[in-house]
Amino acid sequence: MPETAKDQIRQFVTDIAQRKGLDVVTDDESLTSNGVIDSLGIFKLVSFLEDTFRLKVADDEITNESFESINQIDRFVAGKLEKKPA
Amino acid sequence: MAYHLTQLLTKSVERFPEKTAVWARGKTLSYRELEERSNQLAHLFRERGVKKGDRVGLYFPKSIESLACMLGVMKAGGVYVPLDPAQPASRIGYIISNCAMKGLVTTLDRLKALAHADTRTVEFSVLTEAEAAGAENGTIPTGPAGPSGGGDVIPWNSVSGLPVSRPPADFQPTTTDLAYILYTSGSTGRPKGVMLSHANALTFIEWCAEEFRIRPDDRLTGHAPLHFDLSVFDVYNTLEAGATLYMIPDDALLFPATLGKFLEAKEISVTYCVPSALVHLVLHGSLASRDLHHLRTILFAGEVFPMKYLKQLAGMIPHVELYNLYGPTETNVCTWYRVDRARLPQMERLPIGRACANTEVFAVNDRDERVTTPGETGELYVRGPAVTPGYWGDAEKTAKMVVPNRFQPHFDEKAYRTGDLVTLREDGDYDFIGRRDNQIKSRGYRIELGEIEAAILSHPGVREAAAIALPDDEVGNRIKAVVAPHNGDPITALDLQQHCASRVPRYMIPELVELRESLPKTSTGKIDRVRLVAESGAARS
Repeated sequence: MPETAKDQIRQFVTDIAQRKGLDVVTDDESLTSNGVIDSLGIFKLVSFLEDTFRLKVADDEITNESFESINQIDRFVAGKLEKKPA
Repeated sequence: MAYHLTQLLTKSVERFPEKTAVWARGKTLSYRELEERSNQLAHLFRERGVKKGDRVGLYFPKSIESLACMLGVMKAGGVYVPLDPAQPASRIGYIISNCAMKGLVTTLDRLKALAHADTRTVEFSVLTEAEAAGAENGTIPTGPAGPSGGGDVIPWNSVSGLPVSRPPADFQPTTTDLAYILYTSGSTGRPKGVMLSHANALTFIEWCAEEFRIRPDDRLTGHAPLHFDLSVFDVYNTLEAGATLYMIPDDALLFPATLGKFLEAKEISVTYCVPSALVHLVLHGSLASRDLHHLRTILFAGEVFPMKYLKQLAGMIPHVELYNLYGPTETNVCTWYRVDRARLPQMERLPIGRACANTEVFAVNDRDERVTTPGETGELYVRGPAVTPGYWGDAEKTAKMVVPNRFQPHFDEKAYRTGDLVTLREDGDYDFIGRRDNQIKSRGYRIELGEIEAAILSHPGVREAAAIALPDDEVGNRIKAVVAPHNGDPITALDLQQHCASRVPRYMIPELVELRESLPKTSTGKIDRVRLVAESGAARS
């Protein structure tokens, strides 16, 4: 079965969390308050999304609303892909 | 003139009782409320046995209560110890026992996380206001804690009913009393507590007030965490001037565009932070679309600001004065440099400048002489009332770093050896060149590579390890570990990162871990760090 976008996002986030010695994160857990994503990690995540899903993230879009949890990141990516011209 | 930090509050309460002193997470305290709350806390701490010089730890996220607690501890004659709320419990436990902390202000989940830490000295733990609602409906266990420590658990609302109008008056404060202890990374693997007196802090605060003309209508930011000495400026210069402190919300610390919006929305006029935060603001803050006309001064310190980004920042906000402040926690800020916008485009290196008022700095060369010739390099020494009395409970370390000033023969006085190499310039300013030892900065955090190595070496599968710093324009340095496991040990990079996570703060966990059979050595048999850095640089390009 092909990996969904959410699977890929979850894998990336889980890798970061593990390297910080944090427990497995759930899809709706806040990544910004549990320390999984820090000021450096957020831009690695943005680069990962841009490279993996071939989209462009504007600076104004890099906010808590779009990046707080795996679910929110997935919704954000889905929204970007919908708007993308074929 | 104030001689005790709490007098800064007293003075502003008289002038501006109803003005907002602090804003955090949408909540505020007026100067009057801050005065009353801190008086009540001082009585609570006194009731619980806090006497002059006793240590009380503050172990919870930055909030309006943070200020009330800092002031409350000092009003009881105590010494506050701000603790990083995100640090591993084992490191917090070490700090608690190292300074024999008598009390804690914390949250219930953090208190639980300390169950296995050594908290035998702690006689009481006050739960923060955020937990108060839970205590009222009986979900928080209060009263004596179990044998694991933490002492009596006291809900925040225990302060109600205690006197609001004045603090305990049963002790004689002096300016040489300790005000707070800040723990920084230690090269032997354990954090060390830098003791700071009221005189130490006030030397800095009074210089700032004069030099940066902080006024009652100013709005300052609380960017740095409270266990980091940049926050001393934020808190006490706000109180000194009767200004307002805006604690920056967590999401604005993380997302540069959110920080830009926050600076605009709160009409911030003065902000002080590490250069890497400003670099992110330059690169991702959408500053061009923000109205920042209230902003008049940006101060930065903690690490070297890469010139290319400083030039971009200066171009984006042409009306703002920019200052490079320099100084280790042991002296707070000791030198400063006002960015000369006319010269900036041609500048290749940003000086750390010259000494602040009431402070003297000088460089000492390898022949143990004071540097007087421009172009010459030496280790920077600092003397004056800003210099720490030393490290808590570590006379040996103190004697090594806070040394007799041998250039002044007439009476006993101490100077602090910074370990930083500087070059004297033609114009009398100093340039920062580098370190004498293995201390580095990453995102403004002061890190001893030795503390990381000690954490890695405590893993049973590790035979040799070196932590190295790879210079990086955005964050100062990235940390890499090169590790040689015992023969046949199946250890992985991830194992080692997780092992570090339980021992050191997250910002010290090596971003990269390379496993090798053995580490290169110098002719004297030491690990060849220079070669490791050179090889890592080559591998990256």
